[in-house]
Amino acid sequence: MTEKRRRIARKLKEVIDPELGVNIVDLGLVYDILIEDGHVIIVYTTTTPGCPMRRYLQQQIDKALTGIEGIDSAESKLVMDPEWNVDMIVPDVEFFAVPPPQLNQ
Amino acid sequence: MAVFQFSNKLLAGFMAFAALGLLTGLYAGLAKLGFLGDINLNIPGGLHGPLMINAFLGTLISLERAAALEKRWTLTGPFLMAVSVVFMLFVDLQYGSWLFTIGSLFVTLTLLHICFIQPKIYHYIMAMGGASLFIGNLLFTMGAPVFEIVIWWMGFPVLTIFGERLELNRIMRPPKKAQWAFVGFIAVWILGTALLHFSRIHGWHLVMVSTLATAIWLIKYDIARKTIKSVQWTKYSAWCLLSGYGWLVLTGIFGLMYGLPTAGPFYDALLHMVFVGFVFSMIFAHASVIIPSLSGKIIPWSQYFYLPLILLHGSLVLRILGDFSGNYMLRSTGAWINVLAILLFLGGIFTQIVRNRRK
Repeated sequence: MTEKRRRIARKLKEVIDPELGVNIVDLGLVYDILIEDGHVIIVYTTTTPGCPMRRYLQQQIDKALTGIEGIDSAESKLVMDPEWNVDMIVPDVEFFAVPPPQLNQ
Repeated sequence: MAVFQFSNKLLAGFMAFAALGLLTGLYAGLAKLGFLGDINLNIPGGLHGPLMINAFLGTLISLERAAALEKRWTLTGPFLMAVSVVFMLFVDLQYGSWLFTIGSLFVTLTLLHICFIQPKIYHYIMAMGGASLFIGNLLFTMGAPVFEIVIWWMGFPVLTIFGERLELNRIMRPPKKAQWAFVGFIAVWILGTALLHFSRIHGWHLVMVSTLATAIWLIKYDIARKTIKSVQWTKYSAWCLLSGYGWLVLTGIFGLMYGLPTAGPFYDALLHMVFVGFVFSMIFAHASVIIPSLSGKIIPWSQYFYLPLILLHGSLVLRILGDFSGNYMLRSTGAWINVLAILLFLGGIFTQIVRNRRK
């Protein structure tokens, strides 16, 4: 993993799924981080296509991507294939280990 | 194809209609109990059910799904539900009924679309919730009395929430057998609802067995058992969820003991144990995550939110005691405080959003 991808992943770890209290990277919702020149595409999913949190997560992802050094532009792309499942969660992750996002506002 | 993005303002506009449905629905509820005779808003008590189920819950739940999918056609459901509020209040219930019936058909199609993307059992359960609303609405519009179709209406929020909880609780990794048992309970619910038209007592008993079994399942497997040790909104949400399941257990027990009359205090008690005790607890539980998603506004936590929750449950206990003992005064007092608790919750949400903005 390049340094730039690591930096982006670290920023994405700040995005917390409010229903589960786990960041979206550890939840396995971020499928790919594509970098082409200075443009970044985040390929991500939600736990279900009907997830009411989807807009909130997208807003938080877009916010996290602003102000990362070496990135000119960024976009997030929602995909439903492959389907997310619980085996994609990082092993031994602790749910609600991080405070709910309201605490950080 | 260009992606059409819903603006927060557009979604907030729909939410305003849901709020109008809720407030007028609550007003109609009080009018039904014989109050507010001196304030003539011309909202008859008979609108209580249609307003609460369709104008409020129908608009809100279908809006959540539309916001998740962000496809223009999925707004048809919430749009028709929202328009039906205006027709019910200012034109005629019959026109309003047709609008929310067609609206609920679109809600069902939206939910089926989710099944098409991911054919999973929890999505089918939610779609059955939509279909339950549609069937109830169609029968109502064609002239069936509320007591005959109310369990179809009840199926909408209840099956929606059951499907959502089964989906979310995948992270608890319940055993496969337990997951299939859950699906079996849902099948019993639907079978019971249909059977109600032929044998009211047997159909109702099946619905109650399903309610009791599902509630016990949720108490055993829901993540709320863990998150109740958390803090702030997360802890609060867990209290709401578990207390809501508690009301379902009580509904199951009393429902099996007393059956479902076609009117009167027992009918009132059983329906409100589900609609107020369970459904409103779920609304309180999810408001802190749903509202930011639909409006873009974060709701800072406050201990205050325990007040409306305690009032909601406390007043429901009063109301049920009033119903069971034939004490009309107690029942009315409980109903009034039910409304007050909901208004205090909404007021708290509104105040916290405004405060946060000022900061």
